Amino acid sequence: MSGSELLSMTGLTLQVALIATTLSLPFALAIAHALARHEFTGKPLLQALLALPMVLPPVAIGIGLLLALGRRGPLGPLWETLGVDLVFSWWAAAIAAAVVGFPLLVRACEQAFGDVDPRLERVSRSLGLGPWQTFWRVTLPLARRGVLYGVVLAFSRALGEFGATAIVAGILPGRTETLALGIYSRVQLGNDAGALALCAASFVLALSAMLVAETWLRRPSRRFGPPPP
Amino acid sequence: MTRNLIRARVAREGFELEVDLAWDERVLVVFGPSGAGKSTLFEVALGLHPTSRPFVRIGGEVLDDPDLPLETPLEHRGLGWVPQEGLLFPHLPVRDNLRFGAARAAGTGASLLETAIEVLELGPLLERRVDEISGGERQRVAIGRALASTPRALLMDEPLASLDLQLRARVLPYLLRVRDELDLPILYITHDPDEAMIVGDRAAVIDAGRVVAEGAPARVLWSRAVLPLSESLGLENVLEVRVLEAAADHAIARTARGLRLTVPCPAPLTPGQTLQLGLRAQDILIAADPPGRISARNVLEARIAALEPVEDGLLVHLEAGDPLVAKITRSAADALALAPGGRVHLVIKSQALRRLA
Repeated sequence: MSGSELLSMTGLTLQVALIATTLSLPFALAIAHALARHEFTGKPLLQALLALPMVLPPVAIGIGLLLALGRRGPLGPLWETLGVDLVFSWWAAAIAAAVVGFPLLVRACEQAFGDVDPRLERVSRSLGLGPWQTFWRVTLPLARRGVLYGVVLAFSRALGEFGATAIVAGILPGRTETLALGIYSRVQLGNDAGALALCAASFVLALSAMLVAETWLRRPSRRFGPPPP
Repeated sequence: MTRNLIRARVAREGFELEVDLAWDERVLVVFGPSGAGKSTLFEVALGLHPTSRPFVRIGGEVLDDPDLPLETPLEHRGLGWVPQEGLLFPHLPVRDNLRFGAARAAGTGASLLETAIEVLELGPLLERRVDEISGGERQRVAIGRALASTPRALLMDEPLASLDLQLRARVLPYLLRVRDELDLPILYITHDPDEAMIVGDRAAVIDAGRVVAEGAPARVLWSRAVLPLSESLGLENVLEVRVLEAAADHAIARTARGLRLTVPCPAPLTPGQTLQLGLRAQDILIAADPPGRISARNVLEARIAALEPVEDGLLVHLEAGDPLVAKITRSAADALALAPGGRVHLVIKSQALRRLA
């Protein structure tokens, strides 16, 4: 396996994970904020549904995505009209990675928002800032450590995503073949040396991401800690 | 029509608040024991109980009117809220906390930001982080932040309650400066009668969700309706004195009406300085004859104005130049044969005089 092949697969993996995380972040923030701040009927059901991608077989998620994104699925006419063909593209890989990482992101954000004293949001509003400005200037800055932790977790999960991706994006060298898919196809072909090289690259990426999370994001912050008595 | 009006009925599990408060005075102190409904009343003023359809008018401006209907959201009420624990934004330095709401006044050219920094002496704190400053400083910043938003009124929710006595005495003068130098209506909640007396132009006493007395603080705080609460409130005499002479550990001071007192001074005092002193009713001893040599530094002559039986004793209203109230047992009153018009001697340890401001 050539070095440029390894580089391009690593690049594609990072690209997919980055797009996956970026795509899911706004939705995760909105849902997590609603869960952390409001009580409503059906909340446990919503929470259970949100956790599903974490516990369902990834292959089953892949099939679900195939139905949702494929031209032969119920939404097929829509994709036809829009002229987009997501299945077997790297976008499909990004969507698959976004779906499986979503529960991790929502949970981390919900926890982070829950830790922000809602009275601080009230104070902000009493000072003339609307709910939207209050979110950007008070809630999100105070929750940012937990939110970033969730982002890194979801990003790391996306780096290694295999099952759903293989179904909905296929294993197309140069187009959708991320590191995880590359390892599998090389093992299938008996190319153990290539598989090991990709494993090593995956290891480095995953370890770097988790080190960032554990070093800077999980540690309780002095800056955002409670004020001394 | 009064400038200020709060009419509300809020029912919660096991608790009901029903108030109809109207006032024109600048500073209304709402006063009562914890659990009386003060905080709920405060939330009504902030517009946090829209479902109970309250009527709220503050500083001449109608904020909520169920008949129109009108409900003004929190961000448009223009109220400077000073919460009990300060609730400064922990991710912002003092300067940005103060500026946080100043945008509301931007363009009107009427921002109180500079005034707040000056009156509350916040200049040296501006670059500090909020977890680096003391509790008293945090409370001053919280008052400043509310002021800087250039509100139509200040809403202060027990702003001194989270501070110990010493810090309270340090912050209170700033609070009085805000009251005196800025022409802003203030709704002030407290469970501390000293504060109620010092801060308020008008007082409303609230108990079990109802307003039980309203009027001038000095009158209301001694009214019959308040007596059942006196135990939980620890009602006190409040005296304003001017320092005449200061020594190392005590000072001689005098009220405007000529009552001379020896007061302790843990911190140096200077002649001419004025102090607010609090004195608990049960800390005044009554002697029928002049006491001889005695350690207590204050022995005053007084005339009994009235005797008022209360549940667990007797309130003795006294005229000693200034009016004072002492609380003794009925058997003590009987033993001394106290009666209205009688002359007695009051014994007050200087340590019993608590400096409030």
